[in-house]
Amino acid sequence: MSSGQMRCSVKAVGAWGQNYTSWVELTELLSKGSTAENTSTSPKPEIIPANERRRAPLPVKLAVESSWQATQTAGIDPKELACVFVSGLGDTQLTDYMCKTLASENMQLSPTKFHNSVHNAAAGYWTISTGCMKAANSVAGFNESVSLALFEAFCQCIEENAPVLIAFYDSPVSEILKPLLKNDQSFSAAIIIEPSTSDDDNNILEMSVTSVSSDWPKLQLEANLHESYEKNPSARILSVLKLLADNSKDSISLPLSAETSIQLTLNNANF
Amino acid sequence: MTIRIVDYESTTAAADNIEQLRIAIKNQKSGLRKNNFSFSDLNTWIGRVPAIDDIDLGEWQSRNNAMAAYGLQQGTILEQINQLKERFGSSRIGVIMGSSTSSIDRTETAYRHLDDDGKLTKEFQQATVHNPHGPGLFIAHQTGVTGPTITINTACSSSAKVFATGQRWLNSHSVDAVLVGGVDTLCYSVLHGFDSLQLLSKDPCKPFDNDRDGINLGEASGYAILMRSEDCETDTGIELTGYGESSDAHHMSHPHPDGLGAQNAIQNALSMAQLSPRDIDYINLHGTSSQANDSIEGKLIGSLFPKTTQCSSTKAWMAHTLGAAGITEALIAIDAARTDLIPGSMNLNNLDQELDFSIQAKNMTRSMTHVMSNSFGFGGNNCCLVFSKVDG
Repeated sequence: MSSGQMRCSVKAVGAWGQNYTSWVELTELLSKGSTAENTSTSPKPEIIPANERRRAPLPVKLAVESSWQATQTAGIDPKELACVFVSGLGDTQLTDYMCKTLASENMQLSPTKFHNSVHNAAAGYWTISTGCMKAANSVAGFNESVSLALFEAFCQCIEENAPVLIAFYDSPVSEILKPLLKNDQSFSAAIIIEPSTSDDDNNILEMSVTSVSSDWPKLQLEANLHESYEKNPSARILSVLKLLADNSKDSISLPLSAETSIQLTLNNANF
Repeated sequence: MTIRIVDYESTTAAADNIEQLRIAIKNQKSGLRKNNFSFSDLNTWIGRVPAIDDIDLGEWQSRNNAMAAYGLQQGTILEQINQLKERFGSSRIGVIMGSSTSSIDRTETAYRHLDDDGKLTKEFQQATVHNPHGPGLFIAHQTGVTGPTITINTACSSSAKVFATGQRWLNSHSVDAVLVGGVDTLCYSVLHGFDSLQLLSKDPCKPFDNDRDGINLGEASGYAILMRSEDCETDTGIELTGYGESSDAHHMSHPHPDGLGAQNAIQNALSMAQLSPRDIDYINLHGTSSQANDSIEGKLIGSLFPKTTQCSSTKAWMAHTLGAAGITEALIAIDAARTDLIPGSMNLNNLDQELDFSIQAKNMTRSMTHVMSNSFGFGGNNCCLVFSKVDG
C-alpha cells in the first residue's frame, strides 16, 4: 500500500562544508569530482549580528550559512518561510561541555551555553537573525534524519500550501562520543521547496512513501564527500543534491524507517 | 479531513496514569517534593517519578527511556497500538516523539563513569541512546512500529508540535495511525541549566501569583493515538480542530515582551479551528511561574479572551516537564472537556495585580466544547492547540 504523491518544486539550494563554501562549488564537486579549497573550519554567516555570531555554536553557523545562501539565491525573504531544521547528532561539543562540567565538583553551567544547548538553537538563531515569525521546527532522525526531514517538510509544504526551508547540518563529534557517532566532518545544506501545481514548474520533486525497506543509494563521490556521506547523517542529502546537480530526470529511493522508504523523482531539472 | 484522538495516557509526579491524575486533580493533590535528586543540592522543588528509578532496559537504558517505558505500560495505549498494527500493518503507523533532553541524562552518567583513558565504558556505548532521536528510536523498538518515526526537539513546545506533525502525516495518507508522545526526565543539565538562568523557585511554584518567584522542574511522559476520523472504530469523541505554530524572533531564552509570537500561534490555531476567542471554554496556559512568562502570557490572554474563557496553569501538580509539558497539558485540557472539570490554578493566592482574566485556584465544574493548550519554548518556539468535543 502506498500513499498519494506529494509534489514540490525546489527553488534554491545553499551549501557549506568541508571542501566547499557554496552550492556552485558543491555542484562542481558533485559533477566533476574536482576538489575545491576550503581551509576554514567554520562559516561566518553575515546575517547573524557579529556579537551574536561569536557566541553561536558551529552547528548553528553551519545551518544558518546554508539557509541564508538558499534564501539569497531564491530571492525569497526569510520572513516568508516556515522552516525545518534537522541534525542527526545534535551539538555534541556542547553536550561534552555540559557533561564534563556536571561531572565536576562545582556543576556551574554557563547560562548562554545552556540555552544554546537546545536542539532548536539553529532554528532559534535563524528566526531571531532574520526576524522570521513563522513555524520553526527542529527534528532528529538519527541515520534517517534526511529522509524524515524531507518527508516532514513535504507534508507541511503541501498541507499548509506555503514554502518551506529545510536545513540539514551536522558537525564533527566530540572525542568521547566519536567511537559511537563517528562523524568528523562539517556538512550543511539547505533547500527551499514550494508547492508545485503546474507541470511546467522547474525542478519538481515528486515524493511517495512505500512500505518497502531500502538502503541509501550508492553514490560516486569525491573522497571527502564520500566520507561525509558515510558518516555524517545530514550529508545523506547528497543523494538528492546529486540528482539536482546532474540535472537528470531520475528516481531514487531513500530509507525512511525499518519498513518504509520514500521514492523521489526529479522532473524539469533546471539547475 | 478531521483528526480524532483515539486514546491517551499521561504519567507525571502527580499520578502514574490518567485515571489517577483525574483523582489528583479533583482532590488538588500535588506531586511536587523538595529536591532530593542525588548529587544535586539545589534548593528547589521537583516533580519526580520515583517508580522509574529502578527500571533496567539493558542496552536501551537511560532515565528518559525508563520514563517512556513506564508511561507506555499505563492504560490501553500499547494494546491499541497492537490492534492497529494488526489492522493496518506496522509500517502504516507513525511515531512522533517530543523531547528536550532526549537521553542526555545517560550521557551525563556515562561521563561520570569514564575509564582511566577518559573513554566510555562498555555499558555506556549506546549509539541509539546518546543522540537527540533517542526517544523515537526507543518507542519504535518498544512498540514494534516500523513506519516513519521522528523526534521533535523544540525545547518546551516539543510535544505540543507532535500533534501538528501528526495531523499533517495523517492528511498525507502516508500513515493510517500515529502514536504521538512526549518524554523528559530530571537530569543535571536542566536542573543546573535553569539554575544558571536563576529561574528556579525554592518553593512549590505559584503560576500567575503576585508572589511567584520561579519554576519547578519535573519529569513526565504522555501519549496519544491520532487517526483520520473516517478510520476510527472507537475514539474519545475529541477532535484536534486547530494548531498554530510560530516563532518569537526575539531571544533564545526570553519570550517576546509583547507576546507577539504567542499571539500568532493562538490566532493561527483559532483560525484553523474556525473559532473565535469567545468559543474557547478553557485554556490550559503555559504558566511556568516565571516572572516573564506569566506576565507576558497573562496580559496576552487578558487582551484576547473574554471572561467566559476559564484559564489555569496546572504546573503546581507536576512541575514544568519541559519537552513533555506540551502533551501533558494538552491531555489535561482534553480530559477536562470529557469530564466537565476545569482544574484550578493550584497555589494561586493573589493574582498578579497587572493581570486580568478568568483564573482561580479552585476547580470548577462546567460543560465544555472547545479547549486550548499553550506551549512556549526556548528559541522563541510557540505552539497552540485547540481540541473540540464532537460527541461522546
